[in-house]
Amino acid sequence: MAGNKGRGRAAYTFNIEAVGFSRGEKLPDVVLKPPPLFPDTDYKPVPLKTGESEDYVLALKQELRETVKRMPYFVETPEEKQDIERYSKRYMKVYKEEWIPDWRRLPRELMPRKKCRKAGPRSKKATDTGKGPSLTNPADVLKKIEELEKKGDGEKSDEENEEKEGSKEKSKEDDDDEEDDAAEQEEYDEEEQEEENDYINSYFEDGDDFGADSDDNMDEATY
Amino acid sequence: MTQAEIKLCSLLLQEHFGEIVEKIGVHLIRTGGQPLRVIAHDTGTSLDQVKKALCVLIQHNLVIHQVHKRGVVEYEAQCSRVLRMLRYPRYIYTAKTLYSDTGELIVEELLLNGKMTMSAVVKKVADRLTETMEDGKTMDYAEVSNTFVRLVDTHFVQRCPLVPATENSDTGPPPPAPTLVINEKDMYLVPKLSLIGKGKRRRSSDEDATGEPKAKRPKQTTDNKEPIPDDGIYWQANLDRFHQHFRDQAIVSAVANRMDQTSSEIVRTMLRMSEVTTPSGAPFTQPLSSNEIFRSLPVGYNISKQVLDQYLTLLADDPLEFVGKSGDSGGGMYVINLHKALGSLATATLESVVQERFGSRCARIFRLVLQKKHLEQKQVEDFAMIPAKEAKDMLYKMLSENFISLQEIPKTPDHAPSRTFYLYTVSILSAARMLLHRCCKSVANLIERRQFETKENKRLLEKSQRVEAIIASMQATGAEEAQLQEIEEMITAPERQQLETLKRNVNKLDACEIQVDETIFLLESYIESTMKRQ
Repeated sequence: MAGNKGRGRAAYTFNIEAVGFSRGEKLPDVVLKPPPLFPDTDYKPVPLKTGESEDYVLALKQELRETVKRMPYFVETPEEKQDIERYSKRYMKVYKEEWIPDWRRLPRELMPRKKCRKAGPRSKKATDTGKGPSLTNPADVLKKIEELEKKGDGEKSDEENEEKEGSKEKSKEDDDDEEDDAAEQEEYDEEEQEEENDYINSYFEDGDDFGADSDDNMDEATY
Repeated sequence: MTQAEIKLCSLLLQEHFGEIVEKIGVHLIRTGGQPLRVIAHDTGTSLDQVKKALCVLIQHNLVIHQVHKRGVVEYEAQCSRVLRMLRYPRYIYTAKTLYSDTGELIVEELLLNGKMTMSAVVKKVADRLTETMEDGKTMDYAEVSNTFVRLVDTHFVQRCPLVPATENSDTGPPPPAPTLVINEKDMYLVPKLSLIGKGKRRRSSDEDATGEPKAKRPKQTTDNKEPIPDDGIYWQANLDRFHQHFRDQAIVSAVANRMDQTSSEIVRTMLRMSEVTTPSGAPFTQPLSSNEIFRSLPVGYNISKQVLDQYLTLLADDPLEFVGKSGDSGGGMYVINLHKALGSLATATLESVVQERFGSRCARIFRLVLQKKHLEQKQVEDFAMIPAKEAKDMLYKMLSENFISLQEIPKTPDHAPSRTFYLYTVSILSAARMLLHRCCKSVANLIERRQFETKENKRLLEKSQRVEAIIASMQATGAEEAQLQEIEEMITAPERQQLETLKRNVNKLDACEIQVDETIFLLESYIESTMKRQ
């Protein structure tokens, strides 16, 4: 346009003097990358305040940091299941107090839902046994055989569960406890079926040679 | 919320409550109010965990819930409240200085648990104090109650909003979430409780008469069948009141630095008198007459009325304008200009930062521009008496860091650069905001570095903890000196050195965090006070 005197010649649109560079002077380099992550500082920082109160507040801070980890409000991330169950893990667990919030102050949707599984399978069992007499005997027998089969499969895993809990008598109470939790359907069914028979589940004790000899002497039969 | 603040919130939540709560909290801070299902869906966490996290956050007053139309409950996070978690040690220490150990523990329990009933606090604090006392002595509940009541009277502890008492004749289903209300008058009303009892010492031999393992104990102690007399009345720490106290402290120490001890005592007296009469956000205190101040001076101070008047006149004439004269009745009515005082403190912080970062000549230029409000480049060089090249360099450095800004004043409507005035100016508000952002970033960096240092030496730390535990148990069972020596030698000398270095570094980083937080407090107070006035 009219102001474009000397095509191609570099001309500043503003008074270069005002910015501080005289004409023809070498301009500083153009910055081509972001500033360094740890730039050098010309001046060293001032030392920190020291004193009794500062020391006390520091100690408070560090104690607080340790204390909050032990409070029930610290929600641990559930660890992924490790392949091998470490023996020491049982004894290194920190026992935290349970915290129950005041539900009157919180929205109702935050309460953990107690899934009433009792209703489902129980009613199913009721209807099954109700249907029982009406069915012919072979069907009954078949059903019994199925149940026994399932129980047989479940027995081994049940044994491990029992050992973990550590006592046989507790199994009944644990059944009740697990019913209250949002337990999975399969676990629940196994426990349910356990209740039906009179046999003691963990027939084999921990120390017995269960599994060790079974490979060798298949004929170690019952006399 | 700036990115730096969100990052800091994330680190604080993680340290206090773990990763799950941190994930939920940060999500809420970022996105604002959201209902439960949306949170679970967006963060990819299971509904159970989201519920638990929300319970924890609500308990600690970090998240509030509101019922919107169609019965949807929305949860909103309070970002500024999350940042307060950095300041907990300072609150606890303040309570200690004002109300000694009892007050300290009361405030600590309230901060750790978010909200508690008075009876729960009293019981817990009494137990804790009893542990530290000598054998045979116990802490009486009455003493703890008294300290609690004093804390409430001075507004350091306040009531939480209550669930409204609904009658059972309400038709229709109950609301999905209670709307909590609090009446101004009831906020500091202490219920009439007669808490009688003494603190219990937690001795493992006494309580476990049946010899059951330690795991069972927590279940037993919560088996209290007695009805709690103040059920439903929860108390929380009143952080605003603590902030007011910090602000007063800062003003008094500023006056002490600028003038002398006596003037700072006078200012302290004036502030104390206005504690309950002045609302927290007010720009200046209620006017106080010189006679009143004279009567309220601390007992030890023996200055005559005339000397007091002289001091007050001096304070009022000071260019910093901490104290102003608002009238002549009653021997002279004086106010403390809180807003101006905070402004001066923020300005002083900015000047100090410029000085430490860029040097004293830069600081001179900064103060000059601050004083003269708007200056051209040429004028800066002339007034500051600094050679042109250096002055330019310094101005541009400060400009690039946003301490100083440029104001354009065009001479012609087309804003041609050659015909525009460019004036340098300092806007304290924007510079304060910029510095606050930098402080948050600093604290986040400090926390990250501390966590990194601790993680690097995790193995060594665990080893030293184990060795300490072994030594402690051996000492308890009575072991010989030689055996203890042997155990101590399990940690080699270079490892000991490493541990020492680690401890020193972590202490330094922690102390840094605490002191940066003090700057954050000053800047935030100033910004808040300025925003209130607009």
